[in-house]
Amino acid sequence: MAPSPRFPNLSPTNHSETSPATPQYNCVAWAAEDTARWWQPGSYWLPADWPGNDFGLAALERAFRELGYEDAGGDDSLQPGIQKVALYGSGFVYTHAARQLPTGKWTSKLGKSVDIEHDYPSVVAGGLYGDVVQIMRRHVA
Amino acid sequence: MTTFTPSPTQTLARFRQLVQQWKDESRYLSNTAQMAMLRSYQSIIGMGPQAVPLILDELRREPDHWFWALEAITLENPVPPQDAGQLDKMAQAWIDWGFNARVIS
Repeated sequence: MAPSPRFPNLSPTNHSETSPATPQYNCVAWAAEDTARWWQPGSYWLPADWPGNDFGLAALERAFRELGYEDAGGDDSLQPGIQKVALYGSGFVYTHAARQLPTGKWTSKLGKSVDIEHDYPSVVAGGLYGDVVQIMRRHVA
Repeated sequence: MTTFTPSPTQTLARFRQLVQQWKDESRYLSNTAQMAMLRSYQSIIGMGPQAVPLILDELRREPDHWFWALEAITLENPVPPQDAGQLDKMAQAWIDWGFNARVIS
């Protein structure tokens, strides 16, 4: 993909496509390592009783807290035994989530489109997804 | 006062144009609320009950996130809780609902 108003920071050298496009799952599901569902409040979300009309930034943070993540204080570096996710927002609503890979690169599902591997969380920020608003972390085996 | 009543052909053409526009605008979105707030999606909701068989046919052709619109127009939600989030199963639940409600054949 080339830089565009939707993704002004994307360049041919800072990302690569890693899957075909599919509407079966979205970025939140992909960051949560679930390719069977499209995560959204009011349909499938964590916790299950999250208000179906609350699509705010808090919804995204709460979902990842349910998965064992905690705030990482903005640290998006690679740390052994730690898995990280980056949460994005525009205004008051969440827009995107990305997951750090063991290599230190990041993986994102772009809506109903493709999965990509990208160098930094900021690669998919700055346009459609707004800003990186939080980095979260959890211990993994 | 004049009222505008589109023909079935006009309705179908407008629906298809809005579907294409929405698919392009929503391609990279993950937040369903953002997808549903797009003008093209809202215009389809605004078509009211006459859009329901068209949406169900579109779901049969290519499953996509039309559930918000279907719920808004019909005030129904036939998706079993265990199938929530699973696109193909949600689409099938709505298609089955359409048959049972005689909205599609």
